[in-house]
Amino acid sequence: MNIIGKSVIRKEAFDKVTGRAKYTADELSVNTLHVKMVTSAYGHAKIVSIDDSLARQISGVRAIIKGSHELPLTGEEIRDRPPLAVDKVRYFGEPIALVVADRPAIAKQAADLIQVKYEPLSVIQSPSEALKADAPIIHENLLSYDKLGSAYPVPNSNIANVTKIRKGNIDQGLKQSDVTVEGTYRLSPASHAAMETRSAAAEIKPDGYVHITTSSQAPFMVKKLISIYFKIDVGKIIVETPFVGGGYGGKAPIQWEILAYLASKAVGGRRVTITYTREEDLTTAPCKVGLEAKVKIGSTKEGIIQAAEILYLFDGGAYSDKSIDVSRAGGVDCIGPYNIENVWCDSYCIYTNHPYGSPFRGFGHSEVLFAFERTMDQLAGKLDIDPLELRKKNAILPGHTTPTQVLLNRSSVGNLPACIERLKELVGWEEGKQVEEIDDRRVRAKGIACGWKTSTIDTDASSGVILTFNPDGSINLISGVVEIGTATKTVLAQILAEKMKMEVEQIHVKMKIDTQTTPEHWKTVASRGIYMAGRAVLAAAEDVIRQIKDMAAQILRASMRDLDIANGKVFLRDDPNISLDFKDIVYGYKFPNGHSIGGQIIGYGNYILRRLTKLDPETGAGQPGPEWTTAAYYVEAEFDKRDFTYRLQKAAMVVDIGQVLNRKGAIGQVMGGMSMGLSHAGRETFVFDELGRVMNPQLRTYRPIHYGENPDYLVDFVKTPDINGPYGARGVGEHGLLGMPAALANCLSAAADANLNELPLTPELIWRSKGAEL
Amino acid sequence: MSSYNFEYYKPKSIEEAASIFDQMDQQGKDPMYFSGGTEIITLKRLNQLKTGAVIDIKAIQECNVFEFHEDSLLTGAALTLTKVEELNLFPLLSQTVSEIADKTARNKITAGGNICGQIFYREAVLPFLLTDSELMIAGSDGRRNAPIKDVFNKQLLLNRGEFLVQMKTNRKYTEMPFVSIKRRRQWNTGYPLLTVAALKAEQGIRVAISGLTHFPFRSAQMEDALNRTDLAFEKRINLALSLLDVPILNDTEGSARYRLFVLKNTLYDIFQELEGDKLASIEEH
Repeated sequence: MNIIGKSVIRKEAFDKVTGRAKYTADELSVNTLHVKMVTSAYGHAKIVSIDDSLARQISGVRAIIKGSHELPLTGEEIRDRPPLAVDKVRYFGEPIALVVADRPAIAKQAADLIQVKYEPLSVIQSPSEALKADAPIIHENLLSYDKLGSAYPVPNSNIANVTKIRKGNIDQGLKQSDVTVEGTYRLSPASHAAMETRSAAAEIKPDGYVHITTSSQAPFMVKKLISIYFKIDVGKIIVETPFVGGGYGGKAPIQWEILAYLASKAVGGRRVTITYTREEDLTTAPCKVGLEAKVKIGSTKEGIIQAAEILYLFDGGAYSDKSIDVSRAGGVDCIGPYNIENVWCDSYCIYTNHPYGSPFRGFGHSEVLFAFERTMDQLAGKLDIDPLELRKKNAILPGHTTPTQVLLNRSSVGNLPACIERLKELVGWEEGKQVEEIDDRRVRAKGIACGWKTSTIDTDASSGVILTFNPDGSINLISGVVEIGTATKTVLAQILAEKMKMEVEQIHVKMKIDTQTTPEHWKTVASRGIYMAGRAVLAAAEDVIRQIKDMAAQILRASMRDLDIANGKVFLRDDPNISLDFKDIVYGYKFPNGHSIGGQIIGYGNYILRRLTKLDPETGAGQPGPEWTTAAYYVEAEFDKRDFTYRLQKAAMVVDIGQVLNRKGAIGQVMGGMSMGLSHAGRETFVFDELGRVMNPQLRTYRPIHYGENPDYLVDFVKTPDINGPYGARGVGEHGLLGMPAALANCLSAAADANLNELPLTPELIWRSKGAEL
Repeated sequence: MSSYNFEYYKPKSIEEAASIFDQMDQQGKDPMYFSGGTEIITLKRLNQLKTGAVIDIKAIQECNVFEFHEDSLLTGAALTLTKVEELNLFPLLSQTVSEIADKTARNKITAGGNICGQIFYREAVLPFLLTDSELMIAGSDGRRNAPIKDVFNKQLLLNRGEFLVQMKTNRKYTEMPFVSIKRRRQWNTGYPLLTVAALKAEQGIRVAISGLTHFPFRSAQMEDALNRTDLAFEKRINLALSLLDVPILNDTEGSARYRLFVLKNTLYDIFQELEGDKLASIEEH
């Protein structure tokens, strides 16, 4: 069998290209009520009054729900967030009230009639503003909040968490340095802008069972958190997730499910549905965090880095939720993929009056790498060393330790020097200068960056798989991974087909998640889908192979050790003619006289990440994730020196993927990530006014990269197996994005001969950096 | 989704349309004429527009013409931008409208609808401003033709119950050298930072601008400055900029000062396109 690496078409492809695939909001049922939100019109304001008297008069309105202290506070690390704002609003778009009505139009009409009176409060627009001595405190009761995780909030401040990384001796490191460079960087919050807006349905049955259908990357977490927040037996909560139309981390937090649950509860448990408008999806739902950063790197004159001193201020927004984790991940991989003996980093998660942060493809890494890799280029410039050469000289290798002092080996870290070498070949790095003149106005410039990432997920995260058989001997694969568009379930089928030596067409994949019947996969995040579920699939395959051989050993009167399987048969290794078809075994074997033995075969497998630890609060020491994927990035652009406009020409990336499981699938994932990275680097960002309102809450004005604006993409792979990954594979779902903003910024900084240390890199930003002359 | 209902009418004649409008108006329904509908539908969803009845003008024959009649090009208000672009009878118009929104939207947006829109870029009007076109406007008092400069000031000045039927453009203008440049905040998607359309007429260069301020305009003073053949191009541009008497937009697309920077460069590009030979010879000196 050679299914590993093949570009198998995704199992759900035909449903998707014909428009027949069903997503959460597609599930219509007659008796469903509809929910519309009233959301905050300000970034920070006291709620003086909410007048719903007109709305209540609308016929067909079943319930109106407002925030109250009776409702539980929610949040994954710190429970700081009321599901509906109470007393004050802390961000623009924050849910204030829900209307439940017979039809969506009635709910909207009523919601539009609810009058909210505000008294605006001063708005915190950035982490550095939030840290000022006279800054208003966004959460006065920070210390009284319950904590679910291990956050370290600072009382009477806007600091939700601090992660301290202390490796080596920073003073010593700086002393050893002949050269230091320092830079400050910033980028604003932005959106995931997935094609499918968030949506959920909820029903509380008379028997007390809560049924939720949600567009989520974390249906199992929905179950657990709803149970905690509302004190419901966790077994009585059943969550279903059909296809998800893009998540990018934005559907890992729990928000719309809580609103759906509250709405159902308010109408006696009837089934209700809520589907965010695009505006709500952009502003109400959790977003991509912002960052302010200060990075100092010290190096010998030969270009050997001695020290890195770093301050990261993550703009976590109004509520801490998952942005605490993001800021922690930013601390874990606070430097690029380099061997640096002396690292000092404080990574803060700061409250502001922006929409609150959530995971976003890369989980803090693209933000951090933007700052670090820009500084690396400035160091290369100061030392007059080729920027790729500087990175190669300092590349992290087996035997080195990470900022959290994890000792790396040949399996746990990718081969960065090989990525760099392959990238050089791929793009012809040695040919020409970094900036080549095209004519008197235009130049062609190239920029690079490197990146790495581990996945800082819960230390007890696990993934389960169940295999059942059909009477023809084909296998049903049931995994808790949500199909969010990454084709993960197809790759799991490939892994199973390879292990079972069967055709991949003989593997039937269950796409929909039902937490009552699907074994748990922690969350479909962190590039851990195939990594963990793939291992669970292999374990489950071993389980069914053992059961099949056990049966066959009895029937064929042979030792299990003498049996092998392939092509839906179990046979004697030395005489394959003596065999049994799976179909004759997997539902029990019937002897000619009718006697039967065995019964149906059901396989299971699971995988739990092992030996992960929490970080030491003082030094950050600890094992935060299983492996580090490494990558090298390249961007080439044509830049107009008069207008400061540019066109993306070519983007390239080489990533150490360990093993390619589905070639086109992997290229698609990487290319999609690169595209997203360039989109955020070049254009995507929220624009806030002085009241903290998002001024571009629609796709008219919030504009992800469009087809035709893209460069040519080149993707290649290095394959250094991760012994723990299925067939040696490493995570790759996020990595396409990580270094792209930095590579573009490095490219344009060279082209414009300016330090471009802010995102997005619009022509206006470059013009300002060049002096804003008319 | 709209949170309230409204009536929909699709009359076949100008007269019928005008009479339905009056009827609806008398019933207090705040009627609106409806063409491509992209703006009415999207603004209605956001409660930024309220109407109890819409009167679709797309079935009216006069609103759908696109042909030369004697020495004039007639452009029906209900023609979609895609159709204008594909038939390409008026290349300046084709070029300008081809940059509006995206293809899917242009299949719906109409020339007249864009000119009458609330979204203030109204780039489809620029070519008609440059060509001193005549507009046919109809209402319950019948039809009238008016020079565009008399009826378009920031927006189309319609009396209550009137709608734009068609634009009439002298053929000679459709054959003159032109340039239409749209500059955006970034790359090729989005509203304009600026759209500048220019025409090289016998008397000199004409320029109309959208996106610089909250309405599209053509300025005689700016054109006079740009046509000061006694001055070098750069001086003409600086003079034209100094004569700007509109408030410059400062919004999510770009700051006011940056817009001026972009305008300056765009005007230079327009000279390059329309007066390239002279520009080159001047630069050599």
